[in-house]
Amino acid sequence: MKKSKIFGNIYTVLAFIFLYMPIAVLVIFSFNASDSTGNITGFSLKWYGELFSDAATLNALKNTLILAILSSIIATVIGTMASYGINKMQNKHIKSATMSVTKIPMINPEIVVGISMMLLFVFVGGIVGSQSSLGFGTVLIAHITFNLPYVILSVLPKFKQMDKSLPEAAQDLGCTPLQSFFKVELPAILPGVVSGLIMAFTLSLDDFVISYFTIGSGFETLPIRIYSMTKKRVTPDMYALSTLIFVSILVLLLISNLTSDKSREKMSKKAKKITKIVVGSLFGVIAAVTIVVFIVSASTETLTLNVYNWGEYISDGGEDTLDVNQKFEEYYEDWYFKKYNKRVKVNVNYTTYASNEDLYAKIKSGAADYDIIVPSDYMVERLKSEGLLQTIDLSKIPNYENISEQFRNPYYDNGKEKYSVMYTYGIVGIVYNKDKINDDDLAKIEAGEAGWELLWDEDYKGQILQFNNARDAFGVAMYSLGIDVNNATDAEWQKAYERLKEQKPLVQSYVMDEIFNKMEGGEAALAAYYAGDCLSMIERAAEAGVNLGFYYPKTNGKYVTNIFADAMCIPKSATNVELAHAYINYMLSEEPAVANAEYLYYGSPNKLVVNNGDYIDYLGDDYGVIYQEEFESQLDYMFETYAYRSLPDEKLKLQNNLWETLKVGSDSFDSGIYVICGVIAAVLIGFGVYCYIIKRKRRRLYWNTQKEASKK
Amino acid sequence: MTKKSFMQKAAAAPHVVWAVLFIIAPLIFVVYYAFTDKDGAFTFSNITELMQASYLEIFLRSLCFAFLATVICLIIAYPIAYFMAKAKPKTQKILIMLVMLPQWLNFLIRTYSWMALLEDTGIINSILGVFGIDPIHMINTSGAVILGMVYNYLPYMIIPLHSVISKIDPKLLEAAADLGCSPLKVITKVVLPLSVSGIISGVTMVFVPSISTFYISQKLGGGNFDLIGDTIERQFQTAYNYNLGAAMSFVLMLIIIVSMAIMNRYSGEDDGGVIV
Amino acid sequence: MNEKKIIELKNVAKSYDGEIILDHINLDVHEKEFMTLLGPSGCGKTTTLRIIAGFVTPDTGDVVFDGVRINDIPAYKRHVNTVFQKYALFPHLNVYENIAFALRLNKVSEEEIFERVTEMLAMVNLRGFEKRDVNLLSGGQQQRVAIARALINKPKVLLLDEPLGALDLKLRKDMQNELKNIQRKTGITFIYVTHDQEEALSMSDTVVVMADGKIQQIGTPTDIYNEPENAFVADFIGESNIIDGIMLDDYKAKFSGHEFVCLDKGFEKNERVDVVVRPEDVDVVPPEKGMLTGVVTSVTFKGVHYEIIVNINNFKWMIQSTDYVEPNQKIGIYIEPDAIHIMKRSEYSGQFGDYSSFSDELDKLSDVTEEEE
Repeated sequence: MKKSKIFGNIYTVLAFIFLYMPIAVLVIFSFNASDSTGNITGFSLKWYGELFSDAATLNALKNTLILAILSSIIATVIGTMASYGINKMQNKHIKSATMSVTKIPMINPEIVVGISMMLLFVFVGGIVGSQSSLGFGTVLIAHITFNLPYVILSVLPKFKQMDKSLPEAAQDLGCTPLQSFFKVELPAILPGVVSGLIMAFTLSLDDFVISYFTIGSGFETLPIRIYSMTKKRVTPDMYALSTLIFVSILVLLLISNLTSDKSREKMSKKAKKITKIVVGSLFGVIAAVTIVVFIVSASTETLTLNVYNWGEYISDGGEDTLDVNQKFEEYYEDWYFKKYNKRVKVNVNYTTYASNEDLYAKIKSGAADYDIIVPSDYMVERLKSEGLLQTIDLSKIPNYENISEQFRNPYYDNGKEKYSVMYTYGIVGIVYNKDKINDDDLAKIEAGEAGWELLWDEDYKGQILQFNNARDAFGVAMYSLGIDVNNATDAEWQKAYERLKEQKPLVQSYVMDEIFNKMEGGEAALAAYYAGDCLSMIERAAEAGVNLGFYYPKTNGKYVTNIFADAMCIPKSATNVELAHAYINYMLSEEPAVANAEYLYYGSPNKLVVNNGDYIDYLGDDYGVIYQEEFESQLDYMFETYAYRSLPDEKLKLQNNLWETLKVGSDSFDSGIYVICGVIAAVLIGFGVYCYIIKRKRRRLYWNTQKEASKK
Repeated sequence: MTKKSFMQKAAAAPHVVWAVLFIIAPLIFVVYYAFTDKDGAFTFSNITELMQASYLEIFLRSLCFAFLATVICLIIAYPIAYFMAKAKPKTQKILIMLVMLPQWLNFLIRTYSWMALLEDTGIINSILGVFGIDPIHMINTSGAVILGMVYNYLPYMIIPLHSVISKIDPKLLEAAADLGCSPLKVITKVVLPLSVSGIISGVTMVFVPSISTFYISQKLGGGNFDLIGDTIERQFQTAYNYNLGAAMSFVLMLIIIVSMAIMNRYSGEDDGGVIV
Repeated sequence: MNEKKIIELKNVAKSYDGEIILDHINLDVHEKEFMTLLGPSGCGKTTTLRIIAGFVTPDTGDVVFDGVRINDIPAYKRHVNTVFQKYALFPHLNVYENIAFALRLNKVSEEEIFERVTEMLAMVNLRGFEKRDVNLLSGGQQQRVAIARALINKPKVLLLDEPLGALDLKLRKDMQNELKNIQRKTGITFIYVTHDQEEALSMSDTVVVMADGKIQQIGTPTDIYNEPENAFVADFIGESNIIDGIMLDDYKAKFSGHEFVCLDKGFEKNERVDVVVRPEDVDVVPPEKGMLTGVVTSVTFKGVHYEIIVNINNFKWMIQSTDYVEPNQKIGIYIEPDAIHIMKRSEYSGQFGDYSSFSDELDKLSDVTEEEE
């Protein structure tokens, strides 16, 4: 008796340790002075301070709350009415059919609910011809939809339990049907309504998957923001926010738990009524305020600019840098006031993507209306050729003259009409962990003789990171094989595929922005990545005590690697073209351009940047790496030869198919898992069969004996 | 009377319209996209494409991982639910709260913090290092992916199990002991068969999200263990191939329906209660 | 009745949170005996039963089974089976499997299981119900399944915890007879717990009256009824007028201001005693012929008889008579010497036996609350 109790206690405690371990990690790192999860440097509250100055996160929090409140209230109203109607339904078949349909969003996997709604919205948006089929409205609809079943399932039983003669009694005493609903039926079902509302609210608050597929450009919820952060680096202020959320929920639950038992009994009726009114009105006030704020913020003159850029591709105000977007807002508000003598609010909605292909999928689907996007060279070419970009009016961009002449006519946009303004350019190189590379290879790198082959070196099995996008990954393979990336034949594509397949067993994981964490944390030895990002990795890793290095791969003594440019463009579907031009113009002025260049470690096409003394001092040795003479002298040649071009459709299709096959097929066929799985399944089936046999035996015996008995 | 019944019909109307527009119509679109090509012409090619060995492997892997995660959840959760149900009512309330509490934090950030725990230079290995134990490679393995699933969905197994077990009349346990059941037999012959309904709903609530998850394996499996969810997500967010993605979703729904049907059939049949 | 003791409780005590449930009781149960533990709710009768079954461990004292101390033997190893108050049938098993439950545990062969289950079903008149779902049976049928399930292992002692409490009156009467028959047929010792005195008196060989964790009286039903040992027993078993009296001498008692001849002796001279007179033993006579006289305060027709409340010297007597009298009528009463039962005074003296606040409805209400226990 006692033994089992002790065992039970130990077991339960272990289970709770398991459940709370990651949360403890969050809490600890929210108080960690360093921003890396690799090391703990001391106690600090700075992330809590950062949190309250992180406008984007606070805005996401606000959006999440608005969405949760609106969707839960609407779902509760519709759901309560529906429960009333369903309860009164006479026809059983209609009733059960309605209930089954209602439950679909609960039973269906979230991802299917998400994509199914996305398909609907995109399809309808396409028919209607709207510029962006996804937005706040669609995500609100999606949230209401998945909230509805939970509301109905918590309200409907209350209607069923309610004494059927209750409304009759009320009407007998003189209530109209409507009065009887509000005076008698509603109070009877109120507990169900409230719990439904709370459930809907929390579900909506926490939802990621469905929002992820149905959200548009101008709106970011907290889970979505966390998602894009976890692709790169979660800033510890997010830990701080999570800790705050966790603690406040813990306190709320504790209060409600402790008060529910004793004190609520003790509370006089009056006090109960008062608390009810207070709680009710509090919720009402919060709801009203958010709705009002929402309406007001929607109706006052607010200019919103939706910027869709690469992850961590702008100086964002973190750690004493310049918050470029915020600066732009202020700058434009001032400028507008000076020009029109009228106040206006500018709001830059900055969201991020991880690859050109992600960007393309978003733009192509017509799901969102971005005003500024920053695709790479070949993607500019492709978007342009598909008519998804609009021409840029250079007369509205006086700062264009800051762009040095050699970058004004890049191969992908060398027509008379301009569709893009270069933001940065860079070269792909290899970042490596000095402590994980053997001495021979280190010496080779030092001597400038190392090429791509290290990425195929068996010594680094499980330590190599590879691009998680088709173009760059195939590019790496082709450069290493000496294939022309832009004019490869089908056979050469196949060869590149074989090369990647050969590499797959060595690859630890396919990454994009995740590379920062992995390299800085010392998790991997080698990776090909964009030079600027590599340099900022080296910088940060050094702070955490990880020793990284970087080199440009050479083949036969010559640099053979990708050079790329990212450029600001305005999509056809942009809604705020005027503001978009102003934004581009602002980005080319000295202060933000320098801030960005210092933040990004990429090459800048801006003359004011390259010659800026502060910038040169700031970069130190890295200046030479970024603006390497050997490249500088032959930039045109490099762009000509090694930059990616937009591929023709058939090649694109081939590339995507090969990539899909590569990703999907796994050589690391994890047989252990399948064996375990099979064994368990076999045991279960065996057990089922055993039960079945025993049962049949018993049944047969039973009938036989009974027959005999009856004969007797 | 007619006025009244009209009102009743009108009350359910918004929901019915909503359900048709936003529940049924989207599912029709999934089917539509699954059986058409980019130009909207009818085709089976999306489905046949999924019959390639590589996609079949994804389905098999997802099924296996989800199955294992479900089994592990059941094994871990059952004793917890049992011990919880045995505790005092007040303690039970607090324990339930503690089980659900982690769910209030976004699953993305909880999964992300598992990365920090599991990495080769992560927290667990650092702690092991203090005791002089060589680091264990955990992240980017199939085990890590399954761990992520178990972690995220364990509460959904505990709660229904607990609610069923706590409703079992304690007199039944006494009756079983009275008739000669040892404490262990009481569990296998009475508690277990009586909690079948809880097991079914727990298994459903763990299996469905596990088989369709798309974030966990990307983070904890390092992109080496593509699951159905990851592949669907890639079709929609990167590869821009809605048709293939819709076809995969369609097949995913079929797998789930079939799994549920199998489970309900074989657990529902056990009316004689032959659990040895 | 066999003289061999099958169960002995020696000085057994149990308390929960400082509240005494059982106060050092001693009890012997003999083989083949039908023993009833009778008492109001909270008297400790169910706890006694659970101590025998092994669900409760006594704080002190010994439980002896067949001469062996079994305090530390867990319930599942004791040769004692229980019929639970609300039957506690296994809802996941059908009738057949419920009854076969204990046999399956012992790995009895299928043939034997079939034989014994069939036999049991025949005994409880449930043949043909094998495949039924126990949740769909009526209360009486569930009861029979519970009895069959408990008896199939041929226990030496069967414990029954208010087994008929949930049945309606008619069914209860039938089941009482049936239980008695089963007990006779099987020869198994029954220990039966109830708060229904009628049930206890009509079924038992021995009745144990309990109150406040103590045994008040052990005896045959007739002993208990005719010779209650104290005011509690007298009041709990049937209706009683309990009057303060003085024992003047052997065979001579004085109460209500009148001297009576009785059959009791052995008290001290002038000892204060409790006098019990059963309502049906009082004869109504004209006032001039009565030993005592009083005014009728109420008359209720009860079918077989009238229930008359009479105020005699400010003490309300209850009289059951076939003769009708008018309310407010002055009547006399006559009591035969053998109708008077003298008891020593006890802690319960003065608490019971006055019908001044009597009402049928109240009585029923208190019955209901007891059943809800």
